[in-house]
Amino acid sequence: MRSLLLKIFLSFWLIIVVTFATAGVAGFLYAESMRDAMESFEVGDSMLAASAALEAGGREGLADWIRSNPASRAITLFILDERGHDILDRQVPFGLSRAFRRHREHPRRHEFAGTDPRNLRRARPHPQLVAADGSVYTFFVAPSRASQAVWTAADARWLLFFIALVVSGTVSWFLASAISAPVRNLRDATVALAGGDLAVRVAESVGKRRDELGMLGRDFDSMAENLQGAATRQTELSRNISHELRSPLARMRVAIELAKQKSGDLPEFERLDNEAERIDGLIGQILSYTKLDASPESGPEPIDLAGLIREVVENVNYECKAEGIDGVSVAAQIDATPTIPGHAGAMISAIENIVRNAVHHSPPDSEVEVHLNQHDQIALIEIRDSGPGVDEAELPRLFEPFFRTRASAESKDARGSGLGLAIAERAVSINGGSISALNHADGGLLVRISLPL
Amino acid sequence: MNDMPKTARILLVDDDQELGHMLSDFLAADRLHVTVCNTGEDGVETFAADDFDLLILDIMLPGMSGLDVLKKIRPQSQVPIIMLTARGDDIDRIIGLEFGADDYLPKPFNPRELLARIKAILRRAQPQENDKRHWKLGGIELDTRTHRATVDGKFMQLTGSEFEILKSLLETPGEVVSKEQLSERALGRRLLPYDRSIDTHVSNLRGKLERAGNKNETIQNQRGVGYLLIPGS
Repeated sequence: MRSLLLKIFLSFWLIIVVTFATAGVAGFLYAESMRDAMESFEVGDSMLAASAALEAGGREGLADWIRSNPASRAITLFILDERGHDILDRQVPFGLSRAFRRHREHPRRHEFAGTDPRNLRRARPHPQLVAADGSVYTFFVAPSRASQAVWTAADARWLLFFIALVVSGTVSWFLASAISAPVRNLRDATVALAGGDLAVRVAESVGKRRDELGMLGRDFDSMAENLQGAATRQTELSRNISHELRSPLARMRVAIELAKQKSGDLPEFERLDNEAERIDGLIGQILSYTKLDASPESGPEPIDLAGLIREVVENVNYECKAEGIDGVSVAAQIDATPTIPGHAGAMISAIENIVRNAVHHSPPDSEVEVHLNQHDQIALIEIRDSGPGVDEAELPRLFEPFFRTRASAESKDARGSGLGLAIAERAVSINGGSISALNHADGGLLVRISLPL
Repeated sequence: MNDMPKTARILLVDDDQELGHMLSDFLAADRLHVTVCNTGEDGVETFAADDFDLLILDIMLPGMSGLDVLKKIRPQSQVPIIMLTARGDDIDRIIGLEFGADDYLPKPFNPRELLARIKAILRRAQPQENDKRHWKLGGIELDTRTHRATVDGKFMQLTGSEFEILKSLLETPGEVVSKEQLSERALGRRLLPYDRSIDTHVSNLRGKLERAGNKNETIQNQRGVGYLLIPGS
């Protein structure tokens, strides 16, 4: 992801910098050739033609001649009269008029016709023509505007290069981000989708684009839409099935009681009753699992974890007694009293299911420990039993619906629906937390819930 | 059950016809006569036309819901009402009690559990021989024979459960009565895990006392323990 941005950025930048550098070198070579052209230009070469033009047409003839014979692209040839005016009425550069004045005062001294020696060729005697009427025309060679510009550029080439580097770098960075940002958005959305957030859409961030990335974004959205639809339908289906199962189950339970009334208490009726109870419990668990899958009905509210744990522990202890589970008791150890934002109902069912699971896997006369603590901005709940623990390879699958460890499958222990820990996992995740299970060093399974404060 | 009435008449409103008939057979063995209605409208009509000792209302009814029936009947009658709710739908549970139902049972239920609840509520509705007849604290007065509650002489309409809770609190003013005790006395059953029914009844009772103009006596919540009635100064 980062490298895509970097790749695009560097390619853009390289292209722009190479283009600049090439143009720069070409310009520099051009400037050198201009300088050479000016250095080698000799006014004397054309003096004969100029003199002929002056003789034939006077000042006008000389003006016509210079108009039709521009010296070269590198230089401008000025012809000044005695007053220092160019015969074509062109603006005379300041350096030139000063040179002219000095030349007039000290005709023998030859100076640089300018302030910067590099901008004018080395001083030589400025040629002069004297017309028939006695007026004197002095020839000055000055660099053309074009060569002045090229030289200035060549002189400032390092500064220019630096500016080009900064500007092209900035532009490339923006261009590269403009291309890679939607890709990054799409990736974030894909990660969220893979993580189970089926409601994620990119219409806002990517889908508005009219290019191929926009099309990809819209395709992603319709894919997510379909996935979400399928998941919702499946959840609804299992919810509806569970609801529909309840009516016949209710009738069945009354029928069992009626049968009891008619034929007395047969042991089979007890069995029927227990099985009906079990089906009922299982349906209840499926319903609460599918309910957790749907988005919660109300927003989060502050939960006092310590109070909630005490309540759950008390209730599970009560259940233990009611179900006649041998001497297993649950103890709460509260080392902090964090308050988290969340859904209390979901939190209760999470802790309750884990504690119940721990009780069911505890040996007789043992204790299940529920430990609440707080580290920085994380509330930690640890539930530990003294049971046999779980095979390391099976630990990651512990929170899958209806997953049974090999040990519990072999023991034909029918207690528990197989949904308890799955419900706990979902309930914790809708509260923004995470859950993990590990074997404690001193034996027993340790389930750890971390919840952000 | 020697303190049970000889026969009791029960109106069951449930859209599951078969279940209704089977329940009526099942309860008949305990001398409970069940009339079954399959719609809320039918239930309201039948209830108005006849005398019943107890009403069992399924919340999920096509058309007029069990809750609508409850809201319609409760202002006119103090008959004990048990709501049948879908298991796990906590919102329905509480809403039923808030509108004056006495108890609820998640569906599908163990029929023996339903029978136990019916008996508990009917037993409660029977005045006990050795009961003290009159209770009075500040402006609040209770007559256990007529099931009349008054605040400063003004009649206050209470459901059976609310009446029993108020009576329990009046017996020992200033002392905490545990939620377990209140549940046993008012609902005739044990308090269940996460059971909020007593809290809901108490909150209804507070509202009614306040509306009846009682300002001196207050019902206080002792967190995690129970409730107590504080006598006015």
